[in-house]
Amino acid sequence: MEHILSLIVFFPLIAGLFGLVVNKENIKTFGIAVALVEFIFSIILWIGFDSTNAGYQFVQYVALIPQFGVSYYLGVDGISLFLVVLSTLMTLISLVGLNIKKDIKNLVITILFLEMTLVGVFLSLDMILFYIFWELSLIPMLYIIGAWGSGQRVYAAIKFFLYTFAGSALMLVGILYLGYQYYLATGTWSFAVPDWYLLVLPFNTQLWLFGAFFLAFAVKVPMFPFHTWLPYAHGQAPTIGSVLLAAVMLKMGTYAFIRFSLPFFPDASVYFLYPVAIVATIMVIYAAMVAYAQKDMKQVIAYSSISHMGIIILGTFAMNAEGLTGSIFLMLSHGIVSGALFMLVGVIYDRRHTKLMSEFGGLATVMPRYAAIFGVLMMAAVGLPLTIGFVGEFLSLLGFYRVSWIITLFAGSGIILGAVYMLTLFRKSFFGKVTNEKNKNLKDLDKREFTALIPLVALVVILGVYPKPILSTIDLSVKKMINLMERKALLPDTKEFLVKVNSIGGTK
Amino acid sequence: MEKYLYVALFAPLVGSLFSLLFTAQKKNVITALVTSGLLLLSFVSSLSLMYAVHSDMIIHVKMMDWISAGNLNLPFGFVVDNVSVVMMVTVTLVSSIVNIYSMGYMMHDKGYNRFFTYISAFVFSMLILVMSDNFIGLFIGWEGVGLCSYLLIGFWYEKDTASWAGNEAFIMNRVADLGMLMGLFLIYWQFGSFEYDVVFAHIGGINPAVVTTIGLLLFIGAMGKSAQFPFHTWLADAMEGPTPVSALIHAATMVTAGVYLIIRASALFSLVPEVGHVIATLGAFVAVFAASMALVNRDLKRIIAYSTLSQLGYMFVAAGLGAYWIALFHLMTHAFFKSLLFLGAGNIMHAMDDELDIKKMGGLFNAMPYTAILMAVASVALCGIYPFAGYFSKDMILAAAFNGGNYYIWAALFIGAGMTAFYSFRLIMMVFFGDKVYKKLGFHPHETYPFVLWTLLPLGILSTIAGFFEHPFEEFTTRLLSKYDFSFSHTTEIGLIFLTLTFVILVVLATIYKYGRGGFSKQIETMPLYILLKNQYFIPKIYETMIFRPYYVLSRFAWKQIDVRIIDFTVDLIAKILYLLGQRSRKMQSGNLSDMLRWMVVGIVVLLALAIFYRPGM
Repeated sequence: MEHILSLIVFFPLIAGLFGLVVNKENIKTFGIAVALVEFIFSIILWIGFDSTNAGYQFVQYVALIPQFGVSYYLGVDGISLFLVVLSTLMTLISLVGLNIKKDIKNLVITILFLEMTLVGVFLSLDMILFYIFWELSLIPMLYIIGAWGSGQRVYAAIKFFLYTFAGSALMLVGILYLGYQYYLATGTWSFAVPDWYLLVLPFNTQLWLFGAFFLAFAVKVPMFPFHTWLPYAHGQAPTIGSVLLAAVMLKMGTYAFIRFSLPFFPDASVYFLYPVAIVATIMVIYAAMVAYAQKDMKQVIAYSSISHMGIIILGTFAMNAEGLTGSIFLMLSHGIVSGALFMLVGVIYDRRHTKLMSEFGGLATVMPRYAAIFGVLMMAAVGLPLTIGFVGEFLSLLGFYRVSWIITLFAGSGIILGAVYMLTLFRKSFFGKVTNEKNKNLKDLDKREFTALIPLVALVVILGVYPKPILSTIDLSVKKMINLMERKALLPDTKEFLVKVNSIGGTK
Repeated sequence: MEKYLYVALFAPLVGSLFSLLFTAQKKNVITALVTSGLLLLSFVSSLSLMYAVHSDMIIHVKMMDWISAGNLNLPFGFVVDNVSVVMMVTVTLVSSIVNIYSMGYMMHDKGYNRFFTYISAFVFSMLILVMSDNFIGLFIGWEGVGLCSYLLIGFWYEKDTASWAGNEAFIMNRVADLGMLMGLFLIYWQFGSFEYDVVFAHIGGINPAVVTTIGLLLFIGAMGKSAQFPFHTWLADAMEGPTPVSALIHAATMVTAGVYLIIRASALFSLVPEVGHVIATLGAFVAVFAASMALVNRDLKRIIAYSTLSQLGYMFVAAGLGAYWIALFHLMTHAFFKSLLFLGAGNIMHAMDDELDIKKMGGLFNAMPYTAILMAVASVALCGIYPFAGYFSKDMILAAAFNGGNYYIWAALFIGAGMTAFYSFRLIMMVFFGDKVYKKLGFHPHETYPFVLWTLLPLGILSTIAGFFEHPFEEFTTRLLSKYDFSFSHTTEIGLIFLTLTFVILVVLATIYKYGRGGFSKQIETMPLYILLKNQYFIPKIYETMIFRPYYVLSRFAWKQIDVRIIDFTVDLIAKILYLLGQRSRKMQSGNLSDMLRWMVVGIVVLLALAIFYRPGM
């Protein structure tokens, strides 16, 4: 068990290299087998995980460049555990649902490579290592969109790559500068995250560094107004690319906020709370409106992702255990739900080679099973209680209410606007009479699609009814982190704020 | 007794899941039989629970943990007490009857199995709503019934109007739900819990301003679900759903959830009478407002829908004035006679091939006498004529308004009672008596299946006699709810009853007389007031032009102009400028030695300048 994290990170890579010698006919089966083993590894990790321990577990430390404190440092806690499971699960599911014939071998190997980088991002406890995985994850996605995309795929792929890469460049400067600050303060070099947690930075430095990290994360999330790469990327990406992009890659940004921005710069985080929260609120409302205006199903889901990410940001910046735990749970639920929705759009795209809602109508009559599954996921997307979507959204908004009721009210309008665009999409595509001749003989879901979708539907219900095991594990690590923030906060205002938002009662 | 609680709660869920297995298949009567059986089982369990509660037992269970984060620890908890058990019995009784009735009504529908899945799912959600021991449990049920309502309004999803109405209902309820959620958030940060027991035990120590805010926010939620102004438009449009659905969800049970919320949180609302006053005033307004729209409408189901709205207004008046048990009593009696009225309307629609325009009916009495009698009984009960059920409950609401000195509310309700009498008997007269217009239009109406009529009989009986349970009901519910004392004298009471009853009976007689002789002339239809009422005060139109369409236009603007034209354009512009800079500066690397020497000189000059003028730390 002590090397399990390394195994989880590098197994897909090594297996992917072996995939080079597998022939074309068997490569999909091979990919699924590898993803399944990887998923089982992550489940073993979860089983072995001590949910009463808030700290890092299964830690693995090897000094790489001791002179500069760069190390190979992995560890998992309640915050990252489920994101790892989510990554391995969604990779598995998306491979099961895969339906591309062209250059399939390259695609499967690329996906496995992507899986390594995603898991690596969530498990790294060294900033340099983190940065390497963070940037490496762009390459497979660039390739997936550029090679298997549709329409303006090259434009979309390059836009995605350059935009996120440019955002990250500033983060690298920030990382190096922080490392230097650590050296100044302690006399030794270290890029280890737990070391940096102990570093108390002057307020002004915090502000600048917060800004540098913020840009990288904001582009990744993506936050308004840095979001325009996302619709292009989703619009052109093949289904598998969209699924992994929406389900896992977007979470890297929000995860990084929680893992780095908040505990590294507690004072700056509280200082920038309102601007960030206002941007998040704008995101929620603005993206929901733009989603409503779309004609293309996939674009609706793409913009809805932006809208939901706004709620996640809000929960994160509530800085209380309710909000933070909720936002992490929302990352998981949004991963499952948006991933499934993108797969569902892929189902109809495979059949009709169009995603325009005006081409459809009455699908519920010809494809009842498809409609039913779409309906369940739609309800999860609009946050109906007892589906997975409710828990995170509710907790995030509940948490932020303690900070500001008025912002919560505006951001809460997301539950209305979300229903508006989702129900409209559903009505336009599934209800009414079948008027288009081409839709009259569409096949309902086949076995492959069922196998991919049923586990997600089951999770939507199961985790909606019984989210507690996951929540309490997350909650423990979150509380530890809040405690850390409170202890290292410089300004009395920050301390007071953190105490206030984490306690019941008192003032309005 | 816990066993009964779980049986009552989960039997409908089992039924729903069972018939879910058949949804993709052809019509199978077994789905209807199994769901009906399980609903009846739930009803019987509820009855035995009522008996247990009657002997002073309160059943409170914590089933399992649900959410825990931060300071929040939220289990699924259920409580069967004097209030929730009344709701349970009402809900399971009406739903069992509606379910059996639907076996006839939906007989030839291709969505037969699906229909019973939804109905049982609805009952399960409704039971969660009423049985939960905390606000979030209530909210789960609240959203659950909303979902089922959405699915059932849009049941005939091939019809554009039906799917539109479903969306409208869901979205409008969501608007109100946001208000309710805000109230729940406030509750949490005040009490650290959502459980009724905890919240109500500590409510006294909270700043009254905060309690007022909580009360108002919860009431916003109640307004949405109970379709009070300005959220009322969805209920009339919800009549697109199958008629048994209108009877069960949009008359007897779901729409009364708002009233139930106020009654459930009576410990909170009784602390802030000014909020109660707002509730009562809005209720009185809706009672008249909705009844006025029913006066001129020609759509059979919409008339009854407006009547439901109006009656919900009455319930809110009672709840707002602190007469909680009276509100609950009217809720119960209303469930009986209003579902009967709707199911009767369903018989008519069947007979008339889904025709809804009452002007095209007339003289149907001969063709369907039993339906006519049942609907007449329901109408008399609705008007509040002694000794039918509505008389007892409605009369007490009027008395409560008078008692509190809220004379304008009383006056509004008084006028509302007159309007109710008018539209009820206008409907009866135009449908069952007078010229047989349907013959000219080629309809061949006939009475429905006998078993369907038999299922309506219990509702008919209850509409007739339920009122006599007034005192036992009061004794039973006021063990939990606060008592309501009338302070005026016996003579005043008799006077008031006499006044109202006479007024209502006079209106009924006048209506029968007028419509017996052919009704009003065509001329009335050109009157401005008639046009205003006919168009529902133009409110749907106002929503359409002021909210729905501008929102779409704004959304398109956000996409086409802001997102594409401004934000994305800027991003591309930056990229293009960088690219252009690269293009231009490429010329520096011309490979020409003299060019390079020139650039070298520039570099040296810059470095020298820096060395001379730049002093770090200055």
